[in-house]
Amino acid sequence: MQSSFPAKSVTSDSRTSFQPPAAATAPGAPVFSDGAGGFSSDRTADTARLDRADRVSRTLDPRTKLFLLLAANLMLFFHVALATQIIMAILFLIPLAVAGRWRLTVNFAVLYAVFTALGLLDPEALGLPWLHVVSALAVGTTMMLPCFMTGAYAFTTTSASAFICSMRRMRVPEAVVIPCVVVIRFFPTIAEDYRQIRNAMALRGIASGGWGLVRHPAQSLEYILIPLLMNATTVAQDLSVAALTKGLGREGEHTSRTPIRMRAVDWLAMVAVMIPLGLDIAGVIR
Amino acid sequence: MMTSEVYSDNVSFTYEHADTPALMDIMLSIPRGQCVVLCGASGCGKTTYSRVVNGLVPQFFRGTFAGKQRTCGLDPSSTPIDQLTPLVGSVLQNPKTQYFNANVTDELAFPAENMGLPTSEINRRVDAVAERFGITGLLGRSIFHLSGGQKQRIAMAAANILDPRLVVLDEPTSNLDQTAIADMRKLIEAMKARGLTIAIAEHRLAWLNGVADRYVVFDGGRIARQYEADEFLTLSPGCIAAMGLRALDLGPYRRRIAELESQSDAQQGSSPRFDNRTTLAPALEQSRHDLKTVPGHRSPKPLLSTRNLVIGYRGRDGFTRHIPDLEFHPGDIIGLMGHNGCGKTTLVRTLTGLAKPLAGSITLNGRTAKPRDLTRAGFLVMQDVNYQLFSDSVREELMIGLDETDPTVLAQTNSVLEDLDLTQVADRHPMSLSGGQKQRVAIGSALMCGKELIILDEPTSGLDRYHMEQVGELLRRLAAQGRTILVVTHDEELAAGWCTRIINLERCRTDPACTA
Repeated sequence: MQSSFPAKSVTSDSRTSFQPPAAATAPGAPVFSDGAGGFSSDRTADTARLDRADRVSRTLDPRTKLFLLLAANLMLFFHVALATQIIMAILFLIPLAVAGRWRLTVNFAVLYAVFTALGLLDPEALGLPWLHVVSALAVGTTMMLPCFMTGAYAFTTTSASAFICSMRRMRVPEAVVIPCVVVIRFFPTIAEDYRQIRNAMALRGIASGGWGLVRHPAQSLEYILIPLLMNATTVAQDLSVAALTKGLGREGEHTSRTPIRMRAVDWLAMVAVMIPLGLDIAGVIR
Repeated sequence: MMTSEVYSDNVSFTYEHADTPALMDIMLSIPRGQCVVLCGASGCGKTTYSRVVNGLVPQFFRGTFAGKQRTCGLDPSSTPIDQLTPLVGSVLQNPKTQYFNANVTDELAFPAENMGLPTSEINRRVDAVAERFGITGLLGRSIFHLSGGQKQRIAMAAANILDPRLVVLDEPTSNLDQTAIADMRKLIEAMKARGLTIAIAEHRLAWLNGVADRYVVFDGGRIARQYEADEFLTLSPGCIAAMGLRALDLGPYRRRIAELESQSDAQQGSSPRFDNRTTLAPALEQSRHDLKTVPGHRSPKPLLSTRNLVIGYRGRDGFTRHIPDLEFHPGDIIGLMGHNGCGKTTLVRTLTGLAKPLAGSITLNGRTAKPRDLTRAGFLVMQDVNYQLFSDSVREELMIGLDETDPTVLAQTNSVLEDLDLTQVADRHPMSLSGGQKQRVAIGSALMCGKELIILDEPTSGLDRYHMEQVGELLRRLAAQGRTILVVTHDEELAAGWCTRIINLERCRTDPACTA
């Protein structure tokens, strides 16, 4: 026979077996408060850092970010001269640095410099004909990198709600807005999924080690892609459900807590990237 | 009917492409202000019913809907779902995928933004709801870095931002630890005190004792029976078990866990002994009896032992933890417990060689092991087992990396398939299997590679009693074959019923003797 409210005894029971006495809590260890306040909020205070709350003000308007992305793609399309490419790449890296993404900025800068240098190699002069492959690949990568830079900037520094709001201001149809937002939300989960899959492969002894992926590229790709896609379908469904129950699909006006407006610096950024691009297309830079 | 927030009259539903109906002739009425628990075995229809209530069925999950449904006075089968949004808050099962924004404040504001509220009103509501749910300190943080419990708390707050009349929760605790569940209970109590109507589809029942007003037991898509809370709570544990439900009173399980924990502390490395003075619940008596009759498979020589191990990782969110010296013997089923964030995952990653220890050493079969050796000897069955299935068929999955023409490999494959009850599905695609079958395929692949240490990460999260017991039996079978089993779990029923030893990392970390 149980009492009608056995929960009370359960709770006190749990305290004796799971919650350490306060005196034994080492300094620096998370504090367990069992009161009514923010019981679990300080639990991972040591792991979760305050995100830069003022990040919004230090980044450009989402519309400007999309414009930069467009400019990077135009560059690829018009096959601009090397000098233009370098100027543009530097211009694209500035907002990334201003947003505080130092590691990303440095990584991109180094990659860009290395690939540009590789592309400048003259295999004939060095007497190494196979280098043609390397320099051709390097040139291709250098041309793609600005797209990745602007893409990374747009997607890592913009909140989903700011994106939604700005796309709606641009009168983008809902049928485009919602999939775009789901995709943006999706990126971080792919990175996490990839790590999990690589761990699972290591445990099975499949393509493990630094060179494992390179040795059997096709097979490795299959082993990574299948679980990734299978998982993607469930994640996409969960996210859609979450979005629907929160009213993302509602007709009528939506607002945004994040202030979105074009400032002088946004116009400046757009003009700045258009100058070298325009000069190149006009044939001034060669 | 006027005072009913949820009213179903003969509701039936069949999912698209499904042969059998998920719900049949549901008659239910939930009066305003009541907290109702929808319970029953897996696939009984409780989650589907929760989706009917918040309009996801039939508007997002399509199929054939029949009957009459009213949620807060609206018909969710014909009103657009976004008209229900301000009236019905929803909390879903997976903490990882139910938030949409990277930032806590944005996430809380999201429903209000979608409703087109003015900015000042949104900010006022965000502050008020953060205050109510004790997450003011989390505002502005990145959600990706929060614990499962914190994420679920934010989901609760976000469901309340529009001041709904009804909140629907679908297995909200399936990924949570004991402390986070206790927090969840307080939140539900607070919501109830405000007069909200609450419907919870749930496997774990004990945490709702005293909060729930009514229990609705589903079985095979129908409502088997409804109980008032005081009637339900007096049902015998045997009766609850017969309905396929999880235990209502975790007291005996927790006592058993405490007992196992103190044994592991006192006699690291020696065989487990049972204290007959402790009285156990009838349900546990059986499993304890089984344990005693399992012949002594536990080998005296440890497979794996750690010495002065320090685990952790560096970087932005880095942490370090000293681990007391541990020994893992073949035949052991060791439960690894402690709340989220206490280092269980990192310890498991270190023991399987996926992460390097910061200091100390791990010995495998008497020899100091490098991470590479540990990866070869150990296997981890992930919580999300979908990540570790790579092939087109179960049989091929087991033979990855092995010579498929070798007769001994073929014979071994057949015996592993037989052993894990997978012969029937040997030629099916792993992704078409049930969760439990997928788990067994992953374990099978570990057996094929000759893994000696098998680690399972939360193998019973979101499982009903029957499936939880099935996992327990499987662990026991593997241990009896001489494998070493380590189970990372919050599930007290699994830990108490099937583990031979329990290590609580959380307790170790604050115990001065352990951090030496």
